[in-house]
Amino acid sequence: MRLPARIRVLERGWLSANNVLLVEGAAATLVDSGYVGHVEQTLALVEHALEGRQLTRLVNTHCHSDHMGGNARIAARHGCPITIPEGEAGSIDRWDERELILGYADQRADRFRYDDLIAPGETIEMGGLEWDVHAAPGHDAGAVVFFSPDEGVLISGDALWQNGFGVVFGALLGNDAACVEARDTLDRIAALDARVVIPGHGAVFADVDDAIERARNRLAHYESSLDKLARHCVKALFTYALLDRRAMPLDAIEDYLGRVPVYVDLNRDFIGLERAAFARWLVADLERAGVVGREGGNLIPRIKA
Amino acid sequence: MSQRDFPRGLEVPSPCVNVCQMDEQKGLCRGCYRTIDEIAHWSVLDADEKRVVWRAIELRRRAIG
Repeated sequence: MRLPARIRVLERGWLSANNVLLVEGAAATLVDSGYVGHVEQTLALVEHALEGRQLTRLVNTHCHSDHMGGNARIAARHGCPITIPEGEAGSIDRWDERELILGYADQRADRFRYDDLIAPGETIEMGGLEWDVHAAPGHDAGAVVFFSPDEGVLISGDALWQNGFGVVFGALLGNDAACVEARDTLDRIAALDARVVIPGHGAVFADVDDAIERARNRLAHYESSLDKLARHCVKALFTYALLDRRAMPLDAIEDYLGRVPVYVDLNRDFIGLERAAFARWLVADLERAGVVGREGGNLIPRIKA
Repeated sequence: MSQRDFPRGLEVPSPCVNVCQMDEQKGLCRGCYRTIDEIAHWSVLDADEKRVVWRAIELRRRAIG
């Protein structure tokens, strides 16, 4: 489906969220900055898409490493202000590596300072369009989505993808209401009646009702069992780390899972496997799903975008 | 992967393998062998255009070895 020419989506994979460039005249706004390890390519992609325009603002849907990792470098290169959701300000001020799911899950991002905040209920001008800011807690408590009523376009971050949504971390990390919030977020998105969704990951899509239905079903599946959600979370975070590292020695995985706090916490609180059995389950499950493979003595990612 | 892997009418998968770093000399991503222009435009290509990019990737992979 076609987006207005003023909206350009730079679509890559899992480690770097989609970067959305919204252009008007000689100016442009970028939504989300990708993973820190990819920032050189992100800078090149943004420069290419700018076609000589000036980047005048960088905005985040939420502050996870795949969405904000490149903030510092991109803002420094272009001399533009950074805008983040108001609900993220505390974690960013403290640079809380647990709340931001950084060191806590063996992820990285360059620390940055934001210049202003946006809050649900406000509007933000990007690419010559007025975007309504809507709260989108669930995957991330402070997340927002942007909706253009004029174009019927939704920038959904990780609140809604074509097939699913970002892991509802909060439900596993002490927020008992997180799944209910995620459900309310899906209801709020459904009520927008968006024509097109630009997700945080994957291709732009128009079958919005189907995507919301799939997301609701998946959420119900996890709500029925936090053990299932915890296992899904472990697999997602480990795959993400493996994509970042590109390979991990098979004989180092048990130690790795015993060292990175999120795995220790989730196994202790929800899964309850003995250390070696936890590592064996994880590798076997990811191998069965075709997400990872073995090469020499290493575990390597097989997942594509 | 070759064109026959992506039959007509089906969604063509993204070539991105999450490496996302450019080999400056070759002007290609070290992971997916695409140019900056090809990566930047991927989201607006139709299925046939995506297949053309995949074909180019295959040829580059062979040439680079």
